[in-house]
Amino acid sequence: MRQRHGKGPLAGSAARFRTGAAAWLARAGLVARAGYDSTARRVRTFSAGPMTPHGTEPPAAGVELRPTASLYLSVGLVAGAVIALQIGIMRLFSVGSWAHFGSLVVSLAMLGFGLTSAIMCVRKGWFERHWQRVAMTSLLLFGPLMVAANLAAQQIPFNAIFLVSDPAQKWRLFGNFLLYMLPFLAGAFYLGTVFLKAQRIFGRVYFADLTGSGLCGLLFLGAMYLFTPENLLVVPLVLWFAGSALWCVAVERLRPIAWLCVTAVACAAVHFAAPAFDVPNLAVSDYKGVSYARKFPDAERVYERASPFGYLEVYSSSYLHFAPGLSDNAAFNLPAMPANAYLGLYIDGEGPSGIIRDLPANETAYFRFLPMIYPYLIKEAPDTFVVQFGGGISTAVALKSNSKSVTVAEGNPAVLGAFRNDKVLRDFTGDVLHNPKIKVIDYEGRLYLANTKDRFDIIDLSLADSAGLSNPGGFAIVEKFAYSREAMTSYMRALRDGGILSVTLWNKEEPPKSVLKLYATMAEAARQIDGGAITDRFFVTSSYLSTATVLYKRGGFTPEETTKLREHTRAMSFDEIYYPGFVYDSKDTASVLTDYKNSIFPDAPTEDPALPANGAKPPEGPPADNAPLPATTMGQMAWHHLVHGGWDDIARRYVFDTRLLTNDRPYFAAYVKPADLPRASDRLELLQDEWGFLLVWATLGIACIAALSLVLLPVAFGWRTIFSRNPGKFRTIVYFACLGAGYIMVEVGLISKFIQALSNATVSASVLITGMLVCSGFGSLVSERYFERARSIMPRIFLAIGALLIGYGLALDSVLDWIGTFPYALRLLFCFVLVFPPAFLMGFPMPIAMTSLSRLGKDHMFLWAWGINGCFSVVGAALVPVIATSFGLAAVLIFSGCAYLLAIVGFFAVLLPLAPAPARAAAA
Amino acid sequence: MSEAALAPFAWAVPKPYSRETMPPTTSGDAFVKWMVANRGESPHFLRQRFSRYQTLVANGDVLDDRNKRAFLLTPREEFTLEHHQGRAYDHAYLDIGFGVTISGPHVVSRMTSTIDVKMGEKVLEIGMGSGYQSAYLANLTDKVWTIEIIKPLAERTRGVYDALIARGYTEYTAITSKNADGYHGWQEAGPFDKIVVTCGIDHVPPPLLQQLATGGIMVIPVGPPGAQRLLKIIKEQAADNTIKVARSDMYGGRIVPFVPFTKLDGEAIKGTHNQR
Repeated sequence: MRQRHGKGPLAGSAARFRTGAAAWLARAGLVARAGYDSTARRVRTFSAGPMTPHGTEPPAAGVELRPTASLYLSVGLVAGAVIALQIGIMRLFSVGSWAHFGSLVVSLAMLGFGLTSAIMCVRKGWFERHWQRVAMTSLLLFGPLMVAANLAAQQIPFNAIFLVSDPAQKWRLFGNFLLYMLPFLAGAFYLGTVFLKAQRIFGRVYFADLTGSGLCGLLFLGAMYLFTPENLLVVPLVLWFAGSALWCVAVERLRPIAWLCVTAVACAAVHFAAPAFDVPNLAVSDYKGVSYARKFPDAERVYERASPFGYLEVYSSSYLHFAPGLSDNAAFNLPAMPANAYLGLYIDGEGPSGIIRDLPANETAYFRFLPMIYPYLIKEAPDTFVVQFGGGISTAVALKSNSKSVTVAEGNPAVLGAFRNDKVLRDFTGDVLHNPKIKVIDYEGRLYLANTKDRFDIIDLSLADSAGLSNPGGFAIVEKFAYSREAMTSYMRALRDGGILSVTLWNKEEPPKSVLKLYATMAEAARQIDGGAITDRFFVTSSYLSTATVLYKRGGFTPEETTKLREHTRAMSFDEIYYPGFVYDSKDTASVLTDYKNSIFPDAPTEDPALPANGAKPPEGPPADNAPLPATTMGQMAWHHLVHGGWDDIARRYVFDTRLLTNDRPYFAAYVKPADLPRASDRLELLQDEWGFLLVWATLGIACIAALSLVLLPVAFGWRTIFSRNPGKFRTIVYFACLGAGYIMVEVGLISKFIQALSNATVSASVLITGMLVCSGFGSLVSERYFERARSIMPRIFLAIGALLIGYGLALDSVLDWIGTFPYALRLLFCFVLVFPPAFLMGFPMPIAMTSLSRLGKDHMFLWAWGINGCFSVVGAALVPVIATSFGLAAVLIFSGCAYLLAIVGFFAVLLPLAPAPARAAAA
Repeated sequence: MSEAALAPFAWAVPKPYSRETMPPTTSGDAFVKWMVANRGESPHFLRQRFSRYQTLVANGDVLDDRNKRAFLLTPREEFTLEHHQGRAYDHAYLDIGFGVTISGPHVVSRMTSTIDVKMGEKVLEIGMGSGYQSAYLANLTDKVWTIEIIKPLAERTRGVYDALIARGYTEYTAITSKNADGYHGWQEAGPFDKIVVTCGIDHVPPPLLQQLATGGIMVIPVGPPGAQRLLKIIKEQAADNTIKVARSDMYGGRIVPFVPFTKLDGEAIKGTHNQR
């Protein structure tokens, strides 16, 4: 009789959660992104039976695990340590260099779980015999490896900005990946061993794993208030220590606890003492904004606060100068710029954003030379709304321009807290947030304006992302809901008759990118508000390689107002891009479009090796200094066609993607058209501000290759031998691939989507991590009751999941806008409620299928299926930003829903019994 | 110190520097031979310099003999970190520490050609960095001022100049440097005919525009290091005597195809660094 053992190790178990969740946490100051290995883990120990590819193994030796509270706690805490380590590493990259590389490294390190699974599959018998030693050794190594790997990785001089130009950088990035994978390997071996031995109590162990991951993720967020980024490693260390000690209790071996104590103290000591020996535990790149501030001779850090909303630092220095978009003519009309007028605000080392001093009236003359002054030129004593407070420059301009009242919104509570509570900042800014003229909205302005009945004369959105949009080093793939079409319509609707919406954006790109997306978005929003008649609604101006300002007026500009604005534009030496009555000369349209396209992707490669690879030739003839610049012509062309029609054709012919921003696709990044991606490989430095987008494609490519390699590994052992008796192999593969990709895509996609209502990526990620994991864990437990009726129940479950996800994709936009109107506590509650139905149901398919495989004796398929699920969850996580930037966030959910529907086909293949053994084997 | 005063110490450079001399450009061998004889430099780097020079000429980054000469006579390898010297003549920008790069040779040459520096003109550089840009300029004019905001870098680069001057590169006596906030320019030394700004800021500092002579040109690279666009600012006096500023790019409104990082194989260009 065949003896049933637990199935092999669960490779990625906790791993998958950590990635996706952490990824999006990181973006808000925490994270970037990563993959999530979804539901796979829950299954492995359900079944029994021989596990190696080549035959039956002897039964496990030694003591069995007993279901004690300490065991469950140990699993939960160690699983939590793994997810905390993931988020911690991404925080280190966010603050030390660039978040996207943290995501890349952690995503790839997650493949370490797959590697662990493969090793344990091949050597299952050995691991069953030595499970106690393996688990204890893994635990003893886990903590030290966290500290050692981090210290070693921080000494590697990896610098993202030289990734293309310096071949050594690729190896340094690879070194980071290898080092950070080590602690995950240790954690994976421990969890795999536990699952291997805990098959009879798998449901509860699995639930401990899930809830441990979810709750420790939440705990980590809380810890971010207490620890600065370089010391966040303490959190997984503490979790590891507690989990390891409880393991000793669970297996009734208390002596190693002493070793654990010594190891833990040594780890902490090394981590904290290393910097004293010039071994930094967080090496901040010299190219981060804050690194420059630290080098100023008179620089002084006047504020520092760590929180999930980012690591805020404020520096004072006479070397900090801000005047975003200042007209060059200020130099000849002002005696001097005010000295020491700003502090520099840095979030996660990025910046600076200027915090403006409370300037006396005689020092604010330069405001007239800033582009954000435009709406005040034609509005007397307005009621003003500032969409994003930031460092307060827009607010200061509004106050000095005689606004009757100023309502300011700020979505980052850490920024508001700094301005409200810190004495130094309050003194410097004249306690601006307590100015009687000012009313503060402590959440995002677009949500407030979408739902308020208040109306304003001026709504200002000026350089809200000043640091982000001006930074060399690239756009992160970050949702910019404040600039979406839906946000613009909210702003426009919140204007009184004759009210003005003023949006100023950096215009430092050549060829133009962001500004064209902004133009298209605002024109489309105006059409929704005003119908087709928008010719008199806009006034647009720009300054070459500086800023662009778009004014929209409810009811349209009068000729007198237009004249006044044009006179100011001339006085400032800004360029006129559009005004009511503007006539565009189309003679340069074709040449500008063609030249821009050829400037990036020339059609004719050169045959002459003495010339650059793209056949560029030096310009001939004298420079045409008096002719309009192509960027100016492009802006004028855009507005002409946006207002009078024909923009779609222009956009199609333009070198970059200029699709408008919507709540479904709120990205300035991703301007390279997908069809041009293959041609971008030899000009990456030119697209340096697109590296975030290109990296998600690179991550997807690497994840696909690595995942397919792992998936195909068992083929090497024999498709026709070890799987020869498994009918429906291909459909089974499809089934688990759909589950792996589908689950993670829902999680990561919803984290992005929920920012729309929750305003903050950190909070959104918290809701999703905890909500999804706990609800799915609950669903997984409940699913056991329905196992016997799986054949009839599961198709309905899949249909329900598919319908829910597709429905969410189609309707979530308006639901989240509605939720955004409620107080924050209710918003959180509603979001949890939204997460529950799909997450609960998505807890069913994996354990049902894995249990089925186990009971049917399809042992090899059991292991392979688990691996397929894990690998495709890594691919799915990498796929999300690609789909989101190309087709929108709704498409991510719809795609996931379709994956679950497709899984129905595979499900019945999973239930097929093994084919009879060949006669010879039977005889034997 | 004047060039004449330093002449006795010019032990490393075989022949005194002369603004009238031009190395031969008919062939790489002729160039190397002349430079070894006159400047005492390493043939290894000289060959690389000449190869890059050929690319610059083909690409239109150096447009006249004065700029060609300036590139050929400036030992770029002296201004890179020691571990980057082997890549000194790559197209790429290189790290020089302190979060600062030395711009690629194409960018430096284009930028310098754009401002068209003539002998005797006063040039101010904001962001001395490695010192290569000012060294290049010192071959075009004898009046160069340069400011570096990072004190240790300013001191290090000054040390490089002083060491080179001591070895006989007397043209660098034309360079006056200081550690200060470049935002305020160098009021005492102005007005300047040309200003080169190589550091990022969200507006053009008014003091620099004030210190720019009427008819003068200022250039500022904008954007990420590998794909910088050059903002060119010309200060003009209108007919009514008002001062105006005109912004353009270095190509005067033409769109010019991008040049990838070309890879040198001996003296020939073989593909790009991104393709290997």
